[in-house]
Amino acid sequence: MQACVSVVDDDALVLRSMGRLLRAAGFEVRTYSSPQDLLGGRAGGQPGCVVMDLSMPGLDGLELQRELAANGDPRPVIFVSAHGSITSSVEAMKAGAVDFLTKPVDARQLIGAVNAAIEKDRRSRETQAQRSAVDACFATLTPREREVLDRVVAGRLNKQIAAELGTAEKTVKVHRASMMRKMQVDSLADLVRIWTATRSPGTG
Amino acid sequence: MDSDALARDRLGTAKRRWGLRAVPEGAAAALVVALAYYLAAHLGFAFTLKPHPISTLWPPNALLLAVLLIAPARTWWWLLAAVLPAHLAAELQSGVPTAMVLGWYASNCSEALIGAALVRAFIPGPVRLDSLRSAGIFMLGAAFAAPLLSSFIDAALVRFIGWGDEAYWELVRSRFSANVLAELIVGPLILTWAAFPWSRLRKVSVARIAEAAALFVSLILVSLAVFDQPFEAYATPALFIAPLPFLLWAAVRFGPTGTASALAAMTVMTIWGAVHGLGPFAGREPPEVARDMQLFLSSVAVPLLLLAVVLEQSVRIARDAHDQRRQVAHLSRVAMLGELSGGIAHELNQPLTAILSNAQAAQHLLANKSADSDTLAEILQDIVVADQRAGEVIRRLHALFKRGEAQLEVLDVNEVVHEVLAIVRGELVMRSIDAVAQLGEGLPRVRGDRIELQQVLLNLVVNACEAMSAATPARARRLTVRSRAAEGGVVVDVVDSGPGFAAGQYEQLFEPFYTTKPQGLGLGLSISRAIIRAHRGRLWGSGVPGKGASFHVLLPASPDKG
Repeated sequence: MQACVSVVDDDALVLRSMGRLLRAAGFEVRTYSSPQDLLGGRAGGQPGCVVMDLSMPGLDGLELQRELAANGDPRPVIFVSAHGSITSSVEAMKAGAVDFLTKPVDARQLIGAVNAAIEKDRRSRETQAQRSAVDACFATLTPREREVLDRVVAGRLNKQIAAELGTAEKTVKVHRASMMRKMQVDSLADLVRIWTATRSPGTG
Repeated sequence: MDSDALARDRLGTAKRRWGLRAVPEGAAAALVVALAYYLAAHLGFAFTLKPHPISTLWPPNALLLAVLLIAPARTWWWLLAAVLPAHLAAELQSGVPTAMVLGWYASNCSEALIGAALVRAFIPGPVRLDSLRSAGIFMLGAAFAAPLLSSFIDAALVRFIGWGDEAYWELVRSRFSANVLAELIVGPLILTWAAFPWSRLRKVSVARIAEAAALFVSLILVSLAVFDQPFEAYATPALFIAPLPFLLWAAVRFGPTGTASALAAMTVMTIWGAVHGLGPFAGREPPEVARDMQLFLSSVAVPLLLLAVVLEQSVRIARDAHDQRRQVAHLSRVAMLGELSGGIAHELNQPLTAILSNAQAAQHLLANKSADSDTLAEILQDIVVADQRAGEVIRRLHALFKRGEAQLEVLDVNEVVHEVLAIVRGELVMRSIDAVAQLGEGLPRVRGDRIELQQVLLNLVVNACEAMSAATPARARRLTVRSRAAEGGVVVDVVDSGPGFAAGQYEQLFEPFYTTKPQGLGLGLSISRAIIRAHRGRLWGSGVPGKGASFHVLLPASPDKG
């Protein structure tokens, strides 16, 4: 799916001009004249980013950002403001904005910020996909195999695991081989890498 | 400092010390004064009731005194010297012995010097009859003390030289009363016209010029009827009062300048009539005629001049207060715009963003060779619109920033509300305030100063914004500006959803230096109320705590539809 930039600004003239600029720079762009339009637009599934005015009547940018997150729209948000006050920029960045630009925004700055945000979105979507795959594999493990996995990842030897679990080392080896197969990895190094990269919930 | 500069400096010091610096610019003035003195002397001769040797009104002395009061003291000697030839030229024609002519020159100069020195002792700089104090000092010093003191010298010189056969005290008396009248009539005429604001003459309305002309013509006609007709025909003492309404008209409407001019005109016509055996004063012995006229004219001139001065002073005080109020209003307006600078920056940055992004979009399209003329036309059109919008922001600001004369016009209150909301749009957005305008239709128009009315509404709106953003959650911030016809005019309500005030607190809010804001000066509302009062309207507040505050501006409907 191609990345899409959603632009939100209550000022029609500004909205049109920024949309035009981003389209001319080669992005797929959707424009929304109000925060409500964006929330109702259900573009959350599509990769990309959101460029929005910080202060709009009805719902201000920071609130909109929270709403988006609550609606499960993970797209990074770039704020633009016609009055770059320090407090609002700090607040925006704390709330997880990837960038904060002051109007009038130079094309290079805007395009750079949009590219960075799209890249960030792509990476986080990749991680998310990987995490789902690992989660799916993890879900197929038996309780005993999960116990073995925890200890293997923690660097325990088979002998130590057997002692901790109160079984024979041979049995541990069987569980471990089955776990490695289900997790679709060939080596201990691979297992540790995907495990720490995704930090699947439900461990420990 | 090189030697040339040193020499120049020494020369400058010497010139200053001897009053020589005034020579170049003073020479022309001295010539004009000498000429005027000569003509005034002839006028004095014309006012002589022959064979009585002393004129009813002798203008040269008064002219000289008035000139000294306007001129810097260091030029006085030059002016006195300049009138000697004029004095000799005028007086020697009348067949008076040279010794007496020179004696009169000395006594005339003594009168001018005594009067000028006395007045200058209390009023440094040019004397203008613009306050009761200056008029009082002029009358006591120049119109009373100077003629009195100099008449002793004059009478002594006349007796010493042996001209005529009048008694010393009779000489003192006749000389004194002739000069008092001259000072009262000629002095104010010269002093007021010398201070006349010629540069503002162009701003004088046609109606006022017409009024002045009507006054002058009426006064001349009445004076002709009273003073320049054979008096027996309709003799009644009540006729003396006939010119008074016109003199009062001059005092009330045309200030000291108009009054001095009117008095001068009436005096000339009175004396002219008496000299030609006409009017109520004629028909008796010349000394009695002169005395009666002097008494009559002096006793009319003093109260009228004082009345005119007092009236002008009170008008000036009112005008100064008005100017001061406008100045304070301007300062508070500029301070308020300072508070709004963030919102204004927002309002300018929006169109600037549109212009920049549109232009850069076009650059991208051209660089990619994907620009079609339709798209470019749209882009350019948007740039034009954005530019005009920025221009509007600047225009509105400029109107509020500049300090100009009050400009009363008949205007539509809704237009003023629109302008104000446009100015604060950025501020409202920044503060997440939802603004609603409920503007009545077909409202009567009002008469006022657009900028001052904008200032009042701006003040109310900014107060509402500050009250709400300090204490109201963003979603509940609501500003309503309503206009409606009421009480014979238009009422504009500015209603907020802030914390409101206790009922007793509203009137306090209008007191100067009372403020509820941490950084407030406490002047906004008191200035706003003063502005609305000057528009003959009312400004008041209402509302209960917890339910928001409302402020109301009532402006009377304009009688002219404009």
